[in-house]
Amino acid sequence: MNDRESLVRGYRRLLACYPREFRRENEEELLGVLLSTAADGQRWVGIAEAADLIRGALRAWLRPPRQCPPTVRAAVRLMYAGAVLELGVLVTVIVTEGSVRSAILARYPGLTAAQWHAVVLTHLLPDEIAAPIVAGVWLWMAWASSRGHYWARVVFAVICGLEVLSMVTALSESAATFAPADLAAGAAVWIVHAAAALLIFSKPSAPFFRPNPNARFFRVADSPR
Amino acid sequence: MQEATFLILTALAADTQHGYGILADVAEISGGRVRLRPGTLYTALDRLRGDGLIEVDREEIVDGRLRRYYRLTGDGGEQLAAEAARLQANARAALARLDLAGGVAT
Repeated sequence: MNDRESLVRGYRRLLACYPREFRRENEEELLGVLLSTAADGQRWVGIAEAADLIRGALRAWLRPPRQCPPTVRAAVRLMYAGAVLELGVLVTVIVTEGSVRSAILARYPGLTAAQWHAVVLTHLLPDEIAAPIVAGVWLWMAWASSRGHYWARVVFAVICGLEVLSMVTALSESAATFAPADLAAGAAVWIVHAAAALLIFSKPSAPFFRPNPNARFFRVADSPR
Repeated sequence: MQEATFLILTALAADTQHGYGILADVAEISGGRVRLRPGTLYTALDRLRGDGLIEVDREEIVDGRLRRYYRLTGDGGEQLAAEAARLQANARAALARLDLAGGVAT
């Protein structure tokens, strides 16, 4: 394999990271420009070039497709913001653990180490484990919504409902007294997600989420018996 | 508007350009300060096409490879003009104040 073939192979491997639609539209042209900017005798893709292509691929994946209506685009951006905020919740829970303990001790001076351990296991640890998972779910929702998947709206509504339930439970367990920062962070995430829900359920978004008549579920349901 | 977007639109303001031409033109317009890489350029071109600010003018095959020429759309021209006017107004205000304060002479 000569230098050129080796370089083309390296570029193609990185271009494979881009979404299919982007590749169909731009791959051959982008490859041509990459080869035009390559140094004479260059055999391998440089680190800066590779970083640039990977960054471009990430942006292409995260960006809603062209046919996406503005309301859905805005909702997708809010979902990304929500995913970042969710990680903010994780940091808040970790950082404020000491103040939560102090607040509980102020109310219940006789709190033993075992009882505090139980509070951590039943309240704080689940939040810490859930936060990155929930952030991942919001990224998945952002992807599904930007592709107009009909089920995305249903799943989104269910998750928003679960979030409301979680907030109500936290309030009923005096989170406002013992963990006001955690509650505020959770409320901030909820507000962002409620705004995203309003946008994807708005009238201009509705045609984008029409059920796909070719989807298996609908084919089976509509098939003659 | 991000600087890279502004420079790409500026590169297409006078005439159609292909990808490699835009890279070279952006470097020239910015006095060598901004050197876009192909991955960044094509992600931006794809976005700008999606937003209706640029469009494909024509396609050619050169040395067996696709070469696509881009041009500004009417909307792209309007947005570039608005951004250029905004930057010009800001620069004029800054220079006027510096001049009043006895700073940099214009």
